[in-house]
Amino acid sequence: MAENVLEIRGLSKSFGSTRANIGIDFTLQKGEIHGLIGENGSGKSTLISQIAGLYAPDSGEMRLFSESYAPRSPLEANESRVSMVVQELGVVSSLPAGVNVYLGRTKLFSKFGLVSIKKLNQAANDEFEKWDLPKVGLHELADGMLIENRKMIELARAMSVDPEVLILDEITQSLSYNNRNKLYELLKKFKAMERSAIVITHDVEELIQITDRITVLRDGEVAGVLESANTTADEVKQLMVGREISGEYYRSDNEPDYDETAPVLTVNGVSVAGEIEDVSFEVHKGEILGFCGISDSGIHAIGKAVYGLEKLSAGEVLLNGKPLKSPTKALASNMAYVPKDRDNDALMMQASIWENLALPSTTELTGKMCFISPGKLRSTAQSVAEKMTVKCRDIYQPMSDLSGGNKQKVNFGRWLAKDIKLLILDCPTRGVDVGVKAYLYSLMKEAKKNGIATILISDELTEVLGMSDRLCVMKNGKLVTIIPRGDGFTEHSLIKVMV
Amino acid sequence: MGSNTKKNLITAGVFIVCLAAGLLLFNIVSGGKFLTADNIPVVLSHIVYPAFTAWGLSFLFACGYTDMSVGGVVVLAAFASNIFGNKFGYIGVIIPGIIVGTLLIFINFNIFAYTKIPSWIASISLAMIYEAFGFFLKTNSSTKQLVITPLNRDYRAIGQLGPSLILLAVGFILAYIIYNRTTIGLNIRAIGGNKEVAKAMGVNVNKTLLWVGVLAGLFIGVAAVIQLSYSGTLTVKTGLTSMSMIFQPLAIVLLAQILQKRINITIAIPICSLIIYSIFNLLTILHVPSGTLQEACLGAFLIIFAIIGQRKSKGVVK
Repeated sequence: MAENVLEIRGLSKSFGSTRANIGIDFTLQKGEIHGLIGENGSGKSTLISQIAGLYAPDSGEMRLFSESYAPRSPLEANESRVSMVVQELGVVSSLPAGVNVYLGRTKLFSKFGLVSIKKLNQAANDEFEKWDLPKVGLHELADGMLIENRKMIELARAMSVDPEVLILDEITQSLSYNNRNKLYELLKKFKAMERSAIVITHDVEELIQITDRITVLRDGEVAGVLESANTTADEVKQLMVGREISGEYYRSDNEPDYDETAPVLTVNGVSVAGEIEDVSFEVHKGEILGFCGISDSGIHAIGKAVYGLEKLSAGEVLLNGKPLKSPTKALASNMAYVPKDRDNDALMMQASIWENLALPSTTELTGKMCFISPGKLRSTAQSVAEKMTVKCRDIYQPMSDLSGGNKQKVNFGRWLAKDIKLLILDCPTRGVDVGVKAYLYSLMKEAKKNGIATILISDELTEVLGMSDRLCVMKNGKLVTIIPRGDGFTEHSLIKVMV
Repeated sequence: MGSNTKKNLITAGVFIVCLAAGLLLFNIVSGGKFLTADNIPVVLSHIVYPAFTAWGLSFLFACGYTDMSVGGVVVLAAFASNIFGNKFGYIGVIIPGIIVGTLLIFINFNIFAYTKIPSWIASISLAMIYEAFGFFLKTNSSTKQLVITPLNRDYRAIGQLGPSLILLAVGFILAYIIYNRTTIGLNIRAIGGNKEVAKAMGVNVNKTLLWVGVLAGLFIGVAAVIQLSYSGTLTVKTGLTSMSMIFQPLAIVLLAQILQKRINITIAIPICSLIIYSIFNLLTILHVPSGTLQEACLGAFLIIFAIIGQRKSKGVVK
């Protein structure tokens, strides 16, 4: 029998009246990659936060290598060689990438009180090389770096403590295809070193593929522990939600299906300095136009450029033949944009849920005398929250209290209160569970049926393949090809073009 | 030579050339009165006090806090230097001013750290308290004479050009090292960048904030000593007018923040101090009335500079 590295018995944690973890039993074996899955709000993040020293449990016991383990801070967890890459926190943008890797431990490079930045960067660089992580500018400030580069800094930080236990909380969904593969390689290497990892992801197929065992949480309790080799995606999903979930939530048709007569949006030779070059495409009424590519392919700049958030160095964006240059005009022209980085680019984390939900609709809700009725704002927000089944105490709760999936429901759902003609979705299902995912896909299908044109940008190939009428493949900032939905619409054929 | 070092050296070179060109332009505009043997020492001696105050403020801003009571602290620290300087000579000038400056800013940061009152609100209240205390010292019969008697001329060498420039060099080295090369400096910046991440990474937020109080207070205390040594006495301020004492250092920090993308803020501060005072000096030479009109020119300059500095930036200049 394999040696247990981490043993958890009867762990419970409550936040006010919310019982996030109830009597959790969990074991992590030596050399094991252990998956943790559950719906948004099922208690996964709370459990790993206790393991990583972010929260103290209310009751229960943790043992690391058979010894009592109760870290009071992430630093103490690090000292016990337990490290974590968290879903939400990220890096300090005002500090260089290298310093971020060793933040809190800069004394390691300090002599007579002076920190040697050269030695610190060298050590950070060694971590990137040791684990074959994609290079980032260690001297550069983290501010303005792509979300996946910031995740790589966090990963290097976690690896720099030489962990026996590594915890990855929904990191893969921030990564593009190639960097995701690098992470898988890192996990293989880690496992070969007889080290152990806990991986949280909402991608059930991925979880089955990369883990040895999977613990399923439901409503704060362990719903079951499965051997990855002997389970199926449907079995995991059923255990997660407590009911049978249909295996197929993408589109079932195999042909493009949209109104080809007149394009809703025309993008002519658009370039954004350092991001994309000479990109042209059209989106039609009722069409879902997908975008995919590896990191640095420029797919995420497409959404920003079309919505007017990026300054175009060349080309033009036309909505129904009229030029678009700013987000204000885009919003007034019934366009919507759901960015990838919801915490930094989309939502006001310190504001309430209702304020976030009502924000894009303020123009429509403004009366003749230029006043907005607070009642109307709140009722609009309330109806969206109910339609999207946002799990919250009430709509007055701060946005920052919500789980990742519920934040995404707000981020997506608030646009549905408007009469939208064009929807730009950048990684819309990042960090959401299968139940929410299925719901978001059903909304996309409904939008398509109602004639809304959609640009779907995603790092998940199955998602763009499953939902798009046509698929734009990008490489090095250029649009390489546009593939129509049909027989050649396979992951294999896409990867051949992307890489 | 690493590409980063090369890039930094090129940036520094370009900046020095631009600065020299700017000063030459000032000289031309002033009809040759700006770069004269008489005027250059005047300019240089006026950049030291604001540079020290600006370094102090930069530590405050780096951790995401603001302190409106700095002017009041400078006045009280200068009073301490004045009283003890006249009694004990240079030791009395230097030590009490620095201690009072450090202590008061340290107290401020204790209040910010433990009461969780927004720092700008708490610091306005503290400014009123410090001003009131200064006023009390000036009007109270037992302390009045001690406060209003100017610092003995024999102990005012620190305010002279040579010693103050040496102090400027020492201050620059200290500020640069603390800000960029110490754990405490990096932790201060981490708290300003993202307090939650910093906390999660093991940075002791309250302890770091108290260190900010000590470091900022140290620089502000030195600034008070320099200012007293230069002018001999400081006037007591009331009705929050002490806040006007930090307008010029504030402008320096704002300018340095704009340049921060290209030049380290601790290096940018003395340079910006030189730029800002040079503007005031040029305006004075050009007989632009001091006070509101000169300040309006400074405001316009800052906005133009911010617009230029903001180009190609995706963020927002604070």
